[in-house]
Amino acid sequence: MSAAVAEKVDDDLWSAIGDPTRRRMLDLLLVEGEGTATTLGQQLPVTRQAVAKHLGVLDRVGLVRATPVGRERRYRVDDAQLARAVAQLSSVGSAWDARLQRIKRIAEAIQRTQQDSQQH
Amino acid sequence: MEFGSIEREIFVEAAPDIVFDVVSSPDHLKQWWPDDARYEPTPGSTGELVFGRGEDGGAAVPFTVVEARPPRMFSFRWTHPADEAAREGNSLLVTFDLTPSGGGTLLRMTETGFREMGWGAAVLEQQFQEHVHGWDFFLPRLAPYVATLEVSP
Repeated sequence: MSAAVAEKVDDDLWSAIGDPTRRRMLDLLLVEGEGTATTLGQQLPVTRQAVAKHLGVLDRVGLVRATPVGRERRYRVDDAQLARAVAQLSSVGSAWDARLQRIKRIAEAIQRTQQDSQQH
Repeated sequence: MEFGSIEREIFVEAAPDIVFDVVSSPDHLKQWWPDDARYEPTPGSTGELVFGRGEDGGAAVPFTVVEARPPRMFSFRWTHPADEAAREGNSLLVTFDLTPSGGGTLLRMTETGFREMGWGAAVLEQQFQEHVHGWDFFLPRLAPYVATLEVSP
């Protein structure tokens, strides 16, 4: 994959999961295993057409895979691409706040243990 | 604010050599970040971080130690493709700088490479803000799910 293509994929992946409706759709697909624009539309405050459009975005970045069923398309979450997105997200800022707090807690616990053992 | 990097600073009431150990050793790393960490904490060493557990071993992300200067500095690259050497443009660079301060340690963390990896600065910033809420409820559900996956990102 060329650098330019990789760049496009990453930008699109981030855009795809940056939208709250699409995250909600992924969530529903994870819980239910699969869904169509119709079944998802029944559970979301948006039209079936809007759901179909969002599914198209998720499909293009590989987060979902479609199988034709009659006149509809049935969607499932793509495990590999989702794990990749999660791994990327876990690198972002808020995650570091939590990590640094844990680093602080662990280091300070070790420091206290060493001081205690010196005193005894 | 520089959009291409994340910078954080925290004061730790522990000596620099202890803090250095916590930010660099794989045994400690997996206590504050991934579920498993496999690498030698020496410059040039390559390995992986593993997120999630499960029969298949979770999702592995490549990890390469860049510099290790105890007890002052530790840096590594991660998220590069498994079959490529880590370099600018294909990975994120995390650097820990440790400064002795009043009996403790001032720990500074920077993560850079977002811009180089092609995540547009404004897009990243905006989505970062959105993610904080969206993923607060989403990620806890994902963790057990991702743990069942067999993936090499």
